Parts: sequence; structure tokens; C-alpha cells
Amino acid sequence: MSSAISGILNQITPNRLGADAPATATADSGFGSILKNAIDQVEQVNAEAQQQTTEVLRGDRSDLHNVMIAIEKADVSFQLMMQVRNKIVNAYEEISRMQF
Amino acid sequence: MSLFSMLEISGSALGAERLRAEVSAANLANAETTRTSQGGPYRRKEVLFSTAGGFRHLLNAAQVNGGTPQGTVRVGGVVEDSTPPLMRYEPGHPDADAQGYVAYPAINPVQEMVDLMGAVRSYQLNASAVTASKQMIQHALEILK
Repeated sequence: MSSAISGILNQITPNRLGADAPATATADSGFGSILKNAIDQVEQVNAEAQQQTTEVLRGDRSDLHNVMIAIEKADVSFQLMMQVRNKIVNAYEEISRMQF
Repeated sequence: MSLFSMLEISGSALGAERLRAEVSAANLANAETTRTSQGGPYRRKEVLFSTAGGFRHLLNAAQVNGGTPQGTVRVGGVVEDSTPPLMRYEPGHPDADAQGYVAYPAINPVQEMVDLMGAVRSYQLNASAVTASKQMIQHALEILK
């Protein structure tokens, strides 16, 4: 009975210390996966812009403005990602400089 | 309202204005055209703009963005001007009728040029809106710096 409860607890709180598989557990949820999802989305916007640019250069499409807007979206998304990354690195450095 | 809906709206307007300029250019190019595949002279074309609506569009927008980008423009259709053709007396012309009159399209180049200028200006206007939207997003990013 108690082992069943602890099993459920392990499933509910995968991030707590001493869990059986902390590496896979942190990959499922938490800050890391949110960040990874965001980066994947930026990557997707980037790939879309790249594909549209290729299509224009190949002569498959003529709506240049939509391609420019797609490139702009990719640029802005990338800038946002870089800003978030800078913030995270800054926070990490702050913590690593902490005096004990 | 997503982050990029302003860009989407301006993008749709850019496409519509480009088509308007294209139709104006076609009207100018065919100002003297007396033969078409439908028979008779070329008929002046005009672009109808309408707001993007309809069930399919709204459903699409709701599924993709989780919200409708209200205010995008789309081309409702390209219609033909019903003005009767100009009849010019040119008996030697191969398309002249029995009385010696040739039907020319009722196109006023001055009017077409003004329409073309309007389309170009509107295009610039919407391109400026895209730039403004971009700057707004970048200003928002500046907050984090």
C-alpha cells in the first residue's frame, strides 16, 4: 500500500530530489522543457522564413511582402530568444558569484 | 490578438494593394486593345476590396491563432467596368464594323495613372505600418535589456 502511494508520489512530483530517474523526470516538465519548447518554436519560425526565401529565389512565389514579414517574424523571435538567454546567463552568473 | 496580428493585417493590405496596382497596369497596357478571347474590345477591370470574413476564414483563424486577426483585407473580386466601349471611325482597321467604327476600351489613362499612384501610396502606407509594428516589438524587447 505504502509503496503504491510512493509510486504515485513519484509520478506527481518527478522533480523532487532522490527520485528514481531525475534526468528523465526533469526533461518532462519544468523550466528546461518550457525553454526548449520556446526555442523549438523560434526554430520553426526560422525554418518557415528560410523556406519562403528559397521559394522566392527559385521564382515559385511572388508575394515578396509576405516573405519579408516572415523574415521579420523570425528576426524578432530570435531577438526575444536571445534576450531571454542573456537574462538566464546573467542570473546564473549572479548566483555563481554568490559568497558563502 | 497575437504578437504578429498587426503584421498579418498589414501584410494582407500589401497583397491587396499590389493586385490593385497590377490591375491598373493591365488597364493601361490594354488601353488600345480591340481583340480579346471573349470577343470585342478589352474591358476596364476594377478590384473590389472586402474585409476578410466568412465561416471558413474565421474557423481557420480561431484554430491557428486562438484568436481572430480582425481587420485583414482581402480581394473580393476583380470586376469589369460596364461602360460601353468608345466608338472611333477608322474604316481601314481590321476590327472595324460594317459602318467603319472600331470599338476601343473606355479607358482614361489619366484616371488609371491616378489609381496607380493611389495604389503605390497605399502600399507605402501599409509598409510603414509594418515598420511601426516591428519597432513596437523591438521597443518591448528593449525593456528586457
